[in-house]
Amino acid sequence: MSLDVLIHYAPSLIGGFGVTVLCWSLGGALGIALGFVIALMFRLRIAPLSWTLRVFVEVFRGTPFLVQLFLLYAGGPYVGLRLSATAAGVIGLGVYSSAYFAEIFRAGFAAVPVGQIEAAMSVGMAPRDTLLRVTLPAALIAATPPIVNMLVVLSKETVVLSIITVPELMYQMQTMAAETFTAFDSIFAMAAFYWLLVEATSRLGRRLEARVTAFLQEEARPA
Amino acid sequence: MSVPMIEIRGLRKRFGAHEVLCGVDLEIDASEVVCLIGPSGSGKSTLLRCVNFLESYDAGEVRIAGRLIGYEKGPDEIRRPMAARHLREMRREIGMVFQHFNLWPHMSALRNVAEPLRRVRGLAHAEADERAMAMLTRVGLADKAHAYPSRLSGGQQQRVAIARALAMQPNVMLFDEPTSALDPELVGEVLEAIKSLAAEGMTMLIVTHEMGFAAHVAKRIAFIDEGRIIDDGPPRRVLHESPEPRVRQFFQTYHDRNSF
Repeated sequence: MSLDVLIHYAPSLIGGFGVTVLCWSLGGALGIALGFVIALMFRLRIAPLSWTLRVFVEVFRGTPFLVQLFLLYAGGPYVGLRLSATAAGVIGLGVYSSAYFAEIFRAGFAAVPVGQIEAAMSVGMAPRDTLLRVTLPAALIAATPPIVNMLVVLSKETVVLSIITVPELMYQMQTMAAETFTAFDSIFAMAAFYWLLVEATSRLGRRLEARVTAFLQEEARPA
Repeated sequence: MSVPMIEIRGLRKRFGAHEVLCGVDLEIDASEVVCLIGPSGSGKSTLLRCVNFLESYDAGEVRIAGRLIGYEKGPDEIRRPMAARHLREMRREIGMVFQHFNLWPHMSALRNVAEPLRRVRGLAHAEADERAMAMLTRVGLADKAHAYPSRLSGGQQQRVAIARALAMQPNVMLFDEPTSALDPELVGEVLEAIKSLAAEGMTMLIVTHEMGFAAHVAKRIAFIDEGRIIDDGPPRRVLHESPEPRVRQFFQTYHDRNSF
């Protein structure tokens, strides 16, 4: 392994890492937002809507991300959807993960004990206040650990974006490997970058989790 | 003649093929305390939950201060489900305390009590907190105002739940086995809180297995079995001299089990 090769390629690797983080965070944010909306729409209990959403979730969970991404990027122009590689990557990650996030939020809502909702009903709380003050906080707290977990999984799905030429880490690494015949060096470099990302995510996740479940340990501070 | 605070007439409720309530009649006057006693599965919790319409009913009527709950009659005299807004209006006046407290775990004791005041009664933040604090003081928990439910004992949680219901200033209080989930040592503090309410003239319907409490606090005991009220009268008579063999048998078992 040669250090000067690594140093030479450092700017493109770091740049690729930046693109990875960008696609991952934008795609993850899109997925969380979409998934949340889907979970809320499930709660409306309108049969045709629920049925359509169920099909959406099953299709995007049931097919490989690689296939979805390729269809979006290469097939998109046939239906007038012309996207840059990076835009297709972000949207692809977002739509793909929204199917998982929708299920996470749905499970979060289902985890709220019915007694807490009955307590809100019994004092005459309106549905909107019950959702905002009681159901939603409890559901989000329940959903936090699986959300962090899904974000970790998603961070590693970003490697797939290299096949549609998004200049992310995997793409840069492949370029470096092809130009220098240093397959192992580049793959180790890539692993190190991903490990850094996953480690940072799970650390942040643990802090977030501790924060949202603080009420289980501490006394509330006086207002 | 004044209108009863709670008036139940010919109430019927079924879950699938099983009829849980088979024509229940019960009247509770203002300031009256009635304990509802019966074996498990007799329909007592379902009956209580019909009073604030947490449970819908199939036939009969439940009236609170003369107003039918859960259903409305149009000009055509046909009964249809009540507008959600009207149901909420009625529920504000009916406090309910649950067996498992049902506090909101992500809110402190104070927020649990103050939140409905703000969202339902429309009180300002400071005003809601002030009234909530007064209510917590009343149930002896002023020092726990900022504690989350997970840091409170069962008895304390149930007293917060009572404060939450009372803060709404209801006309009626419903208790669904308020001490059944508590350690024996914590039962007393909750019963004391309910007793003090009785002394102040609160109208209450209480589902309970605490016979001693019922004997002291209730004006009447209604005994329910298989979806029917089979005895209803002063505690002493129902507990000791019921004409109904099923009631005598129930309390005999209770006496036998509790003598040591």
